[in-house]
Amino acid sequence: MSIYALQKLIRDVNRDPRLRESYFAGPEQFVTGYELTDAERSALLAVDLTRLYGLGVHGLLLKPFSILHSVPEPEYLAKIRESA
Amino acid sequence: MPIVFASAGSHAPGITAWAEAAPIEQKQRLYRAYDDVQAALAGSRPDVLILLTSEHWSNFFLDHIGAFCVGRAGHFDGPVEPWLKVPKSRVPGHPAFAAELIDALYASDFEPSFSHSMELDHGSMVPLHFLTPSMTTPVVPIMFNTLASPQPSARRCLAFGQAIGRFAERSQLRVALVATGGLSHDPGEKNHGVINPEFDRRFLGEMAAGQTDRLAAYSTADLMSQGAGTMELLSWVALAGAMQGRKGEIVAYEAVKPWGTGIGLICYPVGAAAA
Repeated sequence: MSIYALQKLIRDVNRDPRLRESYFAGPEQFVTGYELTDAERSALLAVDLTRLYGLGVHGLLLKPFSILHSVPEPEYLAKIRESA
Repeated sequence: MPIVFASAGSHAPGITAWAEAAPIEQKQRLYRAYDDVQAALAGSRPDVLILLTSEHWSNFFLDHIGAFCVGRAGHFDGPVEPWLKVPKSRVPGHPAFAAELIDALYASDFEPSFSHSMELDHGSMVPLHFLTPSMTTPVVPIMFNTLASPQPSARRCLAFGQAIGRFAERSQLRVALVATGGLSHDPGEKNHGVINPEFDRRFLGEMAAGQTDRLAAYSTADLMSQGAGTMELLSWVALAGAMQGRKGEIVAYEAVKPWGTGIGLICYPVGAAAA
């Protein structure tokens, strides 16, 4: 259940200030602490909201994550609506 | 002792965090309605408030999730969200009452999780901000899993609420019940911002009429079709179970577009609830 690890990473960044700081300081290093698939790692490092949503990240995890990346709400909605 | 107060209402974060985004008339009607309900609650002089509520990945995650979790801590801090525009508070708990409630639920063939450490997010702090603004009323929160599939069925939640109601009425304490969540909304999902007033009014009507059979018949698909956040209405169904078919009053309903949520407020008149 790898989507668990991806969602756990996003929740950690959303909820824990120290982990958030670590993530933004070096996302490539940060993701090595989680057992992600290649597709998940790639989507995460690209902050590709369409692919992340399509992989199954819950909206109440992805929306706050998008806010941390300063993505305006209309852009967030447009991106997730592009997913299958 | 009869339940001294019962109410259900929505908890959208916009109610406080971006209150001014709503049309002024809608906001004023809702704030006045909350004031009325707050006055009724205060007049009922509760010893303890059972909060039938839900959360948003604040405490519980996919590493361990149960259908229901009773908070038995001495206090609960909230809100988790610094942007909610609700003052940071320490809400008193009632560990002894919570322990009795858990025992009673087990004796009724419900086995909820329980927690000595729980934070409160907007799902609990928005209603408490309006209903118990001094934050001095002891609260026993019961978190419903409305996020992670599978969620408990409405039928199960109705029966769960019936068990809570039976316990509350056996208690020597003056017990208030508040359910929170909904109505139709799809936060963070593809239909974010979409509200279905027709669904909301039908659901409110069934709550007010005490139509427990109809409330119990809502499937997960029925609720999810109105948006993922609509699953939060499971706590309302539990409240209807605790009320055992008693009739309530729709205090307010507004489809507030800037808050992305159908906002409803229902109250069971103290006299009727206490009858």
